[in-house]
Amino acid sequence: MAAIERRRGRIEVELDDRERQVLIHIVDDLRAGLGTEPRTVPRAYDDPLLEDEYRRLTRPEVEGLRTADVDGLREALTAGGDRCRLDEDAALAWLRALNHLRLVAGGRLGLEEDGWEETLAGPEVEGDDYAMLVTLGWLQDAIIAAIDG
Amino acid sequence: MAAEAPVKQRTPVRSERPTRDVPWNVVVWNDPVTLMSYVVLVFRRLFGHDLETATTLMLQVHNEGKAVVATQPREQAEISVAKLHAFGLQATLARV
Repeated sequence: MAAIERRRGRIEVELDDRERQVLIHIVDDLRAGLGTEPRTVPRAYDDPLLEDEYRRLTRPEVEGLRTADVDGLREALTAGGDRCRLDEDAALAWLRALNHLRLVAGGRLGLEEDGWEETLAGPEVEGDDYAMLVTLGWLQDAIIAAIDG
Repeated sequence: MAAEAPVKQRTPVRSERPTRDVPWNVVVWNDPVTLMSYVVLVFRRLFGHDLETATTLMLQVHNEGKAVVATQPREQAEISVAKLHAFGLQATLARV
């Protein structure tokens, strides 16, 4: 069973082989939506000219970092070994990657309002997108708790 | 501060424009998917807030739909928004 804790200044994420395989599958599924799911292309300005300029200046860097974060998470999962030891920067990179991927899952589910945890029902809750959203949220929350702990 | 968050170094090509020096608000918008604990952590790391301040801001985003998290000259505000975007938060600039 996955265990996440702070030890000697690092975040230790313990995942067995099966758990890592599930997470790799989730990463590969959701990363396809990065850059197309609207939530992963946030606007900075209402003004179209200012927005164009903002995107031209910042998008390569923001998207490059996002790709690096998601690649880094996947590489850590595929590297083998039951235990990933993350320093602060690596833990933040994991959290960013997990958040980007969750935005894709949430977008696919059409989640627009708070409270979906209570109100969402029917086939969505039984589908893969919901399972992936909840799984990544659990991992993200556990890493945050370990950082604060 | 997150060392790998993007820092855009830009030549002030339009520094003669007075609007560049007018402060802008950095606004973070509620997103139903993003975890509250994550938003608090991002505010603490990006803006150096203590837990209480970051939590108050997060709750304002959650309850009111948005919150002004910083007021800065436009160039600096754009950098802040880009960093928030790199963390996957919905952030915009608005004139003060």
